[in-house]
Amino acid sequence: MPAAEALFRGLPALEAALGDVAERLRRVTVQVLAGGRSAGAGVVWRRRGLVITNAHVAAAPRAEVVLADGRAVAARVTARDPRRDLAMLTVSADDLEPALRVDARGLRPGELLVALGHPLGVANAVALGLVHRAPSGAPAPGGWLHADVRLAPGNSGGPLADVAGRIAGINAMIVGGLGIAVPTHVIEQFVQEVVGGGRGGARAA
Amino acid sequence: MPAPSNDGPLAALSSDLAAAVEAAGRSVVAIHARRRIPASGVVWQPGVVVATHHTIQRDEDITVALHDGTTAPATLVGRDPSTDLTVLRLGDAAGAAAAPAAFTTDAPRVGQLALALGRPGTAVTASLGIVSAVGGEWRTWQGGTIDRFVRLDVSVYDGFSGGPLVDAAGRVAGINTSGLARAVALTVPASTVARVAGQLLERGHVARGWLGIATQPVRLPPGLQRSAGTGAGAGLVVVHVEPDSPADRGGVLLGDILLALDDRPLSDPGDVLAALGGDRIGTPVALRVARGGRAEMLTVTVGERPRARR
Repeated sequence: MPAAEALFRGLPALEAALGDVAERLRRVTVQVLAGGRSAGAGVVWRRRGLVITNAHVAAAPRAEVVLADGRAVAARVTARDPRRDLAMLTVSADDLEPALRVDARGLRPGELLVALGHPLGVANAVALGLVHRAPSGAPAPGGWLHADVRLAPGNSGGPLADVAGRIAGINAMIVGGLGIAVPTHVIEQFVQEVVGGGRGGARAA
Repeated sequence: MPAPSNDGPLAALSSDLAAAVEAAGRSVVAIHARRRIPASGVVWQPGVVVATHHTIQRDEDITVALHDGTTAPATLVGRDPSTDLTVLRLGDAAGAAAAPAAFTTDAPRVGQLALALGRPGTAVTASLGIVSAVGGEWRTWQGGTIDRFVRLDVSVYDGFSGGPLVDAAGRVAGINTSGLARAVALTVPASTVARVAGQLLERGHVARGWLGIATQPVRLPPGLQRSAGTGAGAGLVVVHVEPDSPADRGGVLLGDILLALDDRPLSDPGDVLAALGGDRIGTPVALRVARGGRAEMLTVTVGERPRARR
């Protein structure tokens, strides 16, 4: 019976592949603490201590970050842009594994997505979903990545990735049950504005 | 850690899902017929769009946006609230050129992947779940007959109703709606959509049988069961008879207790509705009633439900 074959051959391979993606994401995801309490997640953007999270996760000038290897390090909020809900954290480390990225504008509706975060305090919880609507390339709100994925508070700032483990965006909010993520190209622009001299809405905090 | 994989089973599944969305998405349209956000619909045959009744909130001034961004005026062909379906006809050449869906009437299997598509705007949207329950023919609370019960475990977002249920091969298996059961995602299967759409295109409405009575369930006391010669513990008491209706002409009186219709026992008003499909119009039904403590047989010729009563 073909169905039985699929059951015994296909599913373990799928599960193993999903496990690989989750592990890849775990290694580039941090926990952001504010005042000693978990405020959300973040994604390592550059090896030398550059971490991206949501502006609403990093509301104060300083935060603490728990890296994937368990180290807790102090972080400075070096830039915030509430309009795009992005914040840049700088930690004193030069050996971080940066996230691989993919341009979310190239995603097709129906493609699978994997989210990692710390929803309701559960560390490194994985959620599987798919592209509900790809970002149009227009400014927000058309420019957000809409995902059919079950998120909760604590997913904020965490990665939303394709099945190769490449970050397509960071989860920012839940609207009508949909997961809404800031797409990678918007984050790159934000980072360029801050690190590459700065223009537009991003400013040093 | 191995290099990121673009050709593993997960990537293959992801790519297949996106391909199914792309294939079926060409027949998914946005219908501007309500405030706030457009409703979803499916091009069912050339120039004909099927949508859900409850999301098409006006009968005139309707435009449809196709997958390629072109828009076409549309006219309302007819509605069947009992199955929550509405049929629209596309007005011009752009509409006639719209790609109809490739659909399947195969019975979905519990556990199979279920893609729910919509177009609540310019872009097609996709949600993934599984078929959570499949059953036989069922009747909606408005009396519509749906060939197969299909319940989905899928999140319901804007644009869900009127959009298609798509299988892994990109074929449309039916029209999704959250309007037939509160907060439950159901699919009206393709066979029912085809039947209802055919009737709406032919006549502008779905004909339903009609007796012209209102009933309420009642328990039958043992004495009445004995005297009426029935073993059934319940029947339907007639609380209204429409003047000059089929039931009136057939001799049904206020206060009669209906026991059986064509030898099928009656205990719920829905049992009468279920026996009154459009194919029964003009044919006689045998009603067994308890009247004055005795059983009597009446013959009523089924009429067509007047349009205003739909």
